[in-house]
Amino acid sequence: MKELKKFWALTVRNMKCYFKDKFLFFVSLITPMILLVLFVTFLREVYISSFKGIFEQFGFETDARLVNGLAGSWLLSSVVSVCAVTVAICSNAVMIQDKIEGSVNDLKTSPVKGTTLSLSYFAANFLVTLTVMLAVIAVGFVYLAIVGWYISFVDVLLILADTLCCVLFGTLLAGVIESYIGTQGALSAVSTLVSSLYGFICGAYMPLSQFDEGVRNVLCVLPGTYSVGITRVHFMQGYVKELGRQGLSEQGQKAVLDSFDGNLYVSKTQIPLWSMYVILLGTCALLLVAYVTIVVLQNRRHTARRVRG
Amino acid sequence: MNEKVIDITELHKSFKEVKAVDGLSFCVQKGELFAFLGVNGAGKSTTINILSGILPKDSGTVTVCGEDIDKHAESIRCKLGIVFQASALDKRLSVKDNLKSRAALYGIFGEDFRRRLDELDGMLGLKELLQRPLVKLSGGQRRRVDIARALIHNPELLILDEPTTGLDPQTRQTVWRVIDELRQKRKMTVFLTTHYMEEAAIADYVVILDAGKKVAEGTPHELKTKFATDTVRVYSHLDEAQQLCAEGYSVKRERDFVDIEVKNTAVATQLITARPELFDDYEVLKGNMDSVFLRVTGKNIEEA
Repeated sequence: MKELKKFWALTVRNMKCYFKDKFLFFVSLITPMILLVLFVTFLREVYISSFKGIFEQFGFETDARLVNGLAGSWLLSSVVSVCAVTVAICSNAVMIQDKIEGSVNDLKTSPVKGTTLSLSYFAANFLVTLTVMLAVIAVGFVYLAIVGWYISFVDVLLILADTLCCVLFGTLLAGVIESYIGTQGALSAVSTLVSSLYGFICGAYMPLSQFDEGVRNVLCVLPGTYSVGITRVHFMQGYVKELGRQGLSEQGQKAVLDSFDGNLYVSKTQIPLWSMYVILLGTCALLLVAYVTIVVLQNRRHTARRVRG
Repeated sequence: MNEKVIDITELHKSFKEVKAVDGLSFCVQKGELFAFLGVNGAGKSTTINILSGILPKDSGTVTVCGEDIDKHAESIRCKLGIVFQASALDKRLSVKDNLKSRAALYGIFGEDFRRRLDELDGMLGLKELLQRPLVKLSGGQRRRVDIARALIHNPELLILDEPTTGLDPQTRQTVWRVIDELRQKRKMTVFLTTHYMEEAAIADYVVILDAGKKVAEGTPHELKTKFATDTVRVYSHLDEAQQLCAEGYSVKRERDFVDIEVKNTAVATQLITARPELFDDYEVLKGNMDSVFLRVTGKNIEEA
């Protein structure tokens, strides 16, 4: 019970350290801000003309509200899936800063178990990333409500569940990647690399359907692709249903989903939604095993070296 | 019989080829002010890091408050309070948040924490600092908070790693007032590393380290008697006094005086009574810890 209270005190402390560091908070939000700027400046028009092109092929016309909402929901699904990883990578910087600034030595001289300390970093990172993501989603929902809202209540709940999965994936990935980082340089390198590359390789900035089939198949091996995949489905399906209700044929609806990754394919085989969840959550389970192993090994190595003397 | 709070035997620690601590043995008695002297890189901080469980040792035995550090690390940590050379608290959090989060690690919550915070405020004057982020505090204020953090759980042993380095004289005085108070009222054992020889001079026991090895130990008086020399400073008959070098004395001429180095006060008395005509205006200066340090390490600690 006492160790649990220590764990919670450390978790709260780690969260406060993140939110009080304005620079770190700002850096975490760079990816959603870049996506927003890209969307406002040109991506929105690109998406809308692509949607309209598909509609023309099927002799379908609709109002601007539905098209704007569809484009917005596509962007928001990208933001949620990418930021769950990039925010987690940045917010985990508290752990690395503790190593750099020596605070971890102060914590290690306290009667707290090494595993409690490591798990408190994980828990704080999860809660911080979830808080930021919920704030981003709230802002996104307000935007969609203004430009065109066609998301059902069930889809909202499913989107929140997807966000939880994405945050879990991002937090575990950050925990494993950053376990061995101990310098500011390495932290900057990892943050920059992940922030700039991750969105591209999981199809968040550009639909995977635009890639060559070989590249697409390779990218489908990466679990991050499925965090984008599940959010795409639940953000877009309300809009696509509305397109059907307004008279777009089933083929037309499939064309919209295929072009914008509402359906994912490996070669010519469509990946069902349930298998996306299996792959994503399976990866989370593997990352959890890896993270716990790293924590246990790091603590055991420290203790073993002490006892060996 | 004296009780040993720290007992270190044949302690070794290397970082690749560098031997940071090389066969170090010493003990610290309960309630004493123990000074650990050495230039930068002598092995002082490494020893402290091993004592506090941050660094593993390569070999040797370390016992703190009667418990082996390998077997009872967690229990030992409850008895230690450490003030690090550089503040290890969270710079962006307020003083209160810092102390609250650290107190929780010792199982101090709620009313117990508030009571302890009041006690520390009485000792260190923290009230006006509590809501301010650490990053906005001056060096002296931050040092007071560091000491409050080290004392948050009422430790038996307080380790201070160069606590007064870089502080203004007033804050140094505050730090020493707190240390004196802790020793007098609570009989707390204080383990101190310092660059200031006047601080080492008031310690109960001193160990001098050089290149990871113990080169001298004893009370300040014992060390001064063994290693330091006295000086007879003469302010008159300077030319004649300078001639004493011909009689084998080490003599140093300055603008207004001549310093004659003598082994001890008895030798100084012999010299003065033998040549009274030279000593109209003079004083005998006792050897200090600076000369002890210089003598045993061959290094001047202020240059380190």
